[in-house]
Amino acid sequence: MEVVHLLPEITWVGVMIKAILILAIISALAGFGTFIERKVLAFMQRRLGPMHVGPYGLLQIAADGIKLFTKEDIIPQNANKLIFMIAPLITAATAFIALGAVPVFPDFTVPSWIPIIGDTFVPSIASDLNVGVLFVLGMMASGLYGPLLAGMSQANKWGIIGAARTAVQFLSYEVITALSILAPVMLIGSLSFVDINNYQSEGIGSWMIWQQPVAFVLFLIAGFAETNRTPFDLLEHEAEVVSGYATEYSGMRWGMFFIGEYANMITISVIASVLFLGGYDAEGAFGWLFIMLKIAFFFFFMLWVRASWPHIRPDQLMWFCWKVLMPIAIINILITSLVILL
Amino acid sequence: MSLEQFKNRNVGSQPYVALDVGKPPQGGWCQFKQVVKRTFKGELFVGLWVTMKAMGKALFANDMHTVKYPFEKLPISPRYRAIHDMLRLLESGSYRCIGCGLCEKICISNCIAMDTRYDENQRKEVSEYTINFGRCIFCGYCAEVCPELAIVHGPRYENASEQRAGFSLFDDMLTPIDKLNLQQEYDGFGAISPNADENIKKTPLAY
Amino acid sequence: MGEVQIVNNMVDISIDGVTYKAKEGEFILNAARANDIFIPAICYLTRCSPTLACRICLVEADGKQVYACNAKVKEGMEVTTETETILEERRAIMEVYDVNHPLQCGVCDKSGECELQNYTLEMGVDSQSYTIPDTKRETTNWSPVLHYDPGLCIVCERCTTVCKDMIGDAAITTAKRGGSDLDKAYKETMPKDAYSMWNKLQKSVIAPSNGTGETNCSDCGECIAVCPVGALASRDFVYKSNAWDLKRVPAVAAHSSDGAQIYYEVKPTSIEDRTEKIYRITNEWNYVSLDGSARFAYDFQNTTATKDKTAFDAAIAAFKKADTIRFNSMITNEEAMMLQTLKEKMGIKLYNPEVRAFQKFLNHYEAASGNSLWSTDTDSMMKNSDFVISIGAALRNDSPALKYAFNNVQKMNKGAGLYFHPVGDTLIPTFGKNVEIFNHKVGLEEAVLYLVLDLFADKDKLPSAVKDYIESFKSTRTEIIKEKVEKTVKEMVLNEETGEEEEVSKKIKETVEKEITVSSNGLIDLLGGDAASFDETFAKMMKKKEHFSMMLGEDLYYHDKAENIAKLVALVEAICPINVVMTPPKSNALGVALICELDDTQSGYTVGYNENGDFKLSALGTGDLDMPAMNQQEGTLCSIAKRVLPTNAAVEYNGYELNDLMKELVDAPELTIDWTQNLPKDRGFNGVEFDNLTNSFTNEGIDNRGYTLETTNVETDLPEVVKFEENTALEGDIAYRCNPARQFNDFTDKSHEIFETFSLYASKEKAESLGEKVEVVFDNGSIFLDVVADEKIVGSIVKVPDFRAAEGVYDLFGASRYKTVTLRKV
Repeated sequence: MEVVHLLPEITWVGVMIKAILILAIISALAGFGTFIERKVLAFMQRRLGPMHVGPYGLLQIAADGIKLFTKEDIIPQNANKLIFMIAPLITAATAFIALGAVPVFPDFTVPSWIPIIGDTFVPSIASDLNVGVLFVLGMMASGLYGPLLAGMSQANKWGIIGAARTAVQFLSYEVITALSILAPVMLIGSLSFVDINNYQSEGIGSWMIWQQPVAFVLFLIAGFAETNRTPFDLLEHEAEVVSGYATEYSGMRWGMFFIGEYANMITISVIASVLFLGGYDAEGAFGWLFIMLKIAFFFFFMLWVRASWPHIRPDQLMWFCWKVLMPIAIINILITSLVILL
Repeated sequence: MSLEQFKNRNVGSQPYVALDVGKPPQGGWCQFKQVVKRTFKGELFVGLWVTMKAMGKALFANDMHTVKYPFEKLPISPRYRAIHDMLRLLESGSYRCIGCGLCEKICISNCIAMDTRYDENQRKEVSEYTINFGRCIFCGYCAEVCPELAIVHGPRYENASEQRAGFSLFDDMLTPIDKLNLQQEYDGFGAISPNADENIKKTPLAY
Repeated sequence: MGEVQIVNNMVDISIDGVTYKAKEGEFILNAARANDIFIPAICYLTRCSPTLACRICLVEADGKQVYACNAKVKEGMEVTTETETILEERRAIMEVYDVNHPLQCGVCDKSGECELQNYTLEMGVDSQSYTIPDTKRETTNWSPVLHYDPGLCIVCERCTTVCKDMIGDAAITTAKRGGSDLDKAYKETMPKDAYSMWNKLQKSVIAPSNGTGETNCSDCGECIAVCPVGALASRDFVYKSNAWDLKRVPAVAAHSSDGAQIYYEVKPTSIEDRTEKIYRITNEWNYVSLDGSARFAYDFQNTTATKDKTAFDAAIAAFKKADTIRFNSMITNEEAMMLQTLKEKMGIKLYNPEVRAFQKFLNHYEAASGNSLWSTDTDSMMKNSDFVISIGAALRNDSPALKYAFNNVQKMNKGAGLYFHPVGDTLIPTFGKNVEIFNHKVGLEEAVLYLVLDLFADKDKLPSAVKDYIESFKSTRTEIIKEKVEKTVKEMVLNEETGEEEEVSKKIKETVEKEITVSSNGLIDLLGGDAASFDETFAKMMKKKEHFSMMLGEDLYYHDKAENIAKLVALVEAICPINVVMTPPKSNALGVALICELDDTQSGYTVGYNENGDFKLSALGTGDLDMPAMNQQEGTLCSIAKRVLPTNAAVEYNGYELNDLMKELVDAPELTIDWTQNLPKDRGFNGVEFDNLTNSFTNEGIDNRGYTLETTNVETDLPEVVKFEENTALEGDIAYRCNPARQFNDFTDKSHEIFETFSLYASKEKAESLGEKVEVVFDNGSIFLDVVADEKIVGSIVKVPDFRAAEGVYDLFGASRYKTVTLRKV
């Protein structure tokens, strides 16, 4: 019955519309994200940030976009050209694909007084897979091929180091992400984001964060590493490896890495909101507003951390992952299982 | 050069001072304890609080440090050392430079050059003077050594131009004769100290 | 440095408690300097007489205050250079020098190398206790090169001293300043020496000694060099550059054969043009004195030269078909060696009329005397000699170093001098009281040498034939002369006080008639002297004279009987206590004479190097292929002092060098200076590499530049000399090939501070009779010249300059320096 109800959106037109909407909105948001990042960092350093292009520098995004699109696309002479060209696409594509399986607002029907699209049912999610969590994690994990291939294909030592760090960091923290999510999933008993969301629909008290605070912290930490954000931005840390895997990139290819990165930041923010902070609270009238605020908070938190904390060394990163986070995650799972069993 | 001094990593024999940072944690357990201790001590949150406070101040307490540079300019110190000015005598309007060449001599980047000649009034005349601003390091020695306070550092620090030659010749640096009344007495690098009179031994004059 | 040469007559003195060796009879100041001890001195010049103007060299010797510049050392003397009173005196002297001295160091040319600045700092003068109203003194120009600013002058009299004692012109002297009198109160309060120095300073300035505003001297500029302050400067250099901006390039003066040490001082031309140019010439004036050409003829470089490949190829072709290379003495030893190599490998003739006669003369001399070169030089002449004879040299024009030596011997060694030359000169008699001038007829140089033999030879050693020949000129006759005689007469006088008679001796002058035998020397009459009075004069000249030297000039080399003259010179050297020095005609004539085998004539296709030719290599920038001028190349030059001296390139040169041609024509090393160590050892060169040649003077003034040519001495029999012909003298108008002072060649002519023109130089009377311009007609051509009156010439012989190679004056004169000519007014 549920499936029949959802039938209209499984047409290819619906899929296309959703895909284009996600692409357009998230790309725009990613761009806007760069603007916000600059502004927030500036404010935290008591600066003004971009001010001159448009009111309060708002059109800086457009200026940057024009710049990125019109810049010469340089492919180094000794690079493996095909892989070099494909790598940014992998990053961007996986980031957007992952977003296809995360819910961002409750289902709703377009009011009938609006012409043409009136009465159209809009689902909360592009495709509510029953293995949504696995899918998103898988997509984000495969996103590691972007930086990895980029770094290895460009015949640049900084690139190689960046690629190596990519492999090490992403693979390691993949484990933490998965283990930290495992505990809430065990409690909920479903891998579908909609189910997870609905599980917490009874007000703040029912949010998963109260049952799984440790998992939440672990996920957040792993999330920073997965998205390559300070204090775990070792892949392209300027002071050490120039620009890491992105050293030789220019123009829009370079831009795609960053669209991917910002899209991933949004994904992580969404997952954190849905998984631990009650999501869009399916029954409430302003669920969509609340989830927006929650996502925004996580996004802001990432910038805030960047403004406040120094980054750590690669060896510290590994040590932290395997000797601190993973044991905690396993203990957390054990305790959770025991609680469920008893 | 041998690599000996680089190979010698014995800190004690070198002029380094060791900071007391306590003992590093010994073994995994101690390291873990340190992590836990630091985690729950809330140092990270102090950092977050600091930046948040700074943002609050910047946005709401008008504590923004940015100067919108081309539109706003900070006042510069009289001792600031920017592009040179050549001053004139206030009474006669003739230039102060006597062509003694001390600036040329003292210039450590060797960027000052001058041509002098014996003029019709039997005086030394500076026929041309130039500073190579591509080479000048704005150390201020020229202003300091100038016995006539003729060459001084002006306030012009915006040096970007298509041709630096456009402001490096004598006439470019000289106070325009119609702006003589705007010429400021220089009190920066090399100017006479306020108590100069006390340090001078008077010479007797017969007339 | 500081190592004192140990010679005979050394004494031990102690300076500030340390014992040193010093030459007996030397001034304390020089002894101290030779031992690297500093005693301040402003007015003293090493090779001139002490002036005692500055009084700052005050020292204490054996407990008495003396002036170090004029007190001689004695065995065991104890000298203290600084005591409290001496320091007080010195400080007071420096304060006095600073009274009213303009505070314009900022613009003064001397700033940075000014002795007033240095000593003011040395004495720690930081305040002034004396004062006097200033006198207005106007800046003047004394000559085309001299600029005098009396406001800066401290009247140390170094300029007047050097001009009198060294240069011989005595063109400047102290004059009245008209300044205010000193406040009498100072006499009591001031240190004594400072007061008397000030008293004199306040009354004098320097002015031309002829009473006009112009010096009318030889414009050597030595007064500029010695001036301790900025008072005397070259007009061209005034306010051009600060001393410290100039880079010094040690070199050898290129034009005369003096081989004087100079520094080319270079710096970029202007702000627009950063190529270096020579701003002035300086020298180590305590040890060497320059003439006008050395000091002012410096900007003769070839600026237009480029590496013109077509011209280079043409030059190669020209050398391949050349029969003769014609060149002059403005050439380094290395280049001379290259040309000699061309002669050896390609059979090209070398033609150099400037040097050929000199070379032949040297060969004759060597054959006759067994000595490869002459025996003395100007330096040792000035140090030791007290009697100088000059034969066949127009001293004022040919060889400045000899002129300075001749003059210096008169002034410093209480010397005497004999000057034999057909052209009369008003300057030479002023060198000293005991200078005798013989203006003999042209061609009688042999007679001069016979006279020298007569006057100086050890009669026992003189070959009988020569002795008889000389005696044949002498005649004796009896004469009655009146003579004043002093007689001492003793008489008894009554002493009025005591009333006793005392014997008192009185001197009474009496005139008595006396009959004496007078020997009259016909040689003296023949040479234009007064035989009657000469004996007496000569006896006076010979008083206390021990060291004799003889200077030989270019006239002898170009004499018809040069071979006989060379033999006579050898004879003079062998049997008279006389040392000989010869003047190489110009520049590096000695080097060319030693290195090249020159030919007597030119023929066929000729390549001229700075000379006329079918193909012309020229360092003047006027030929078919450019060559570097002497201030653009490294190399060595041979000087009159028989030294091989290194010279360096002062300004850049962008064209080909002779060595580049050599590389194409025959085998040649990479650089010109690679030839230096290969200069012929059998001619006295010693095979030192150019970069290992020294270039300095020691503190006591010993010349350490380069090395001395090795001379060989072979025991030979006395040469057979022949009689001279009395009636070879030229009649009519006689032209003498002689350049004005400061002009030597095309390069001096090119220099902008040399103003002497290419004209006919004649005495005032002769010039008036000739008008403004004349055509000088020789046997084989003529030349048009402006007439210039030279007040220092006496007599009717006119001087025709040869410094422009293109005018071909050498060809007109042929094998002689004197020619009978017709002077046609134009």
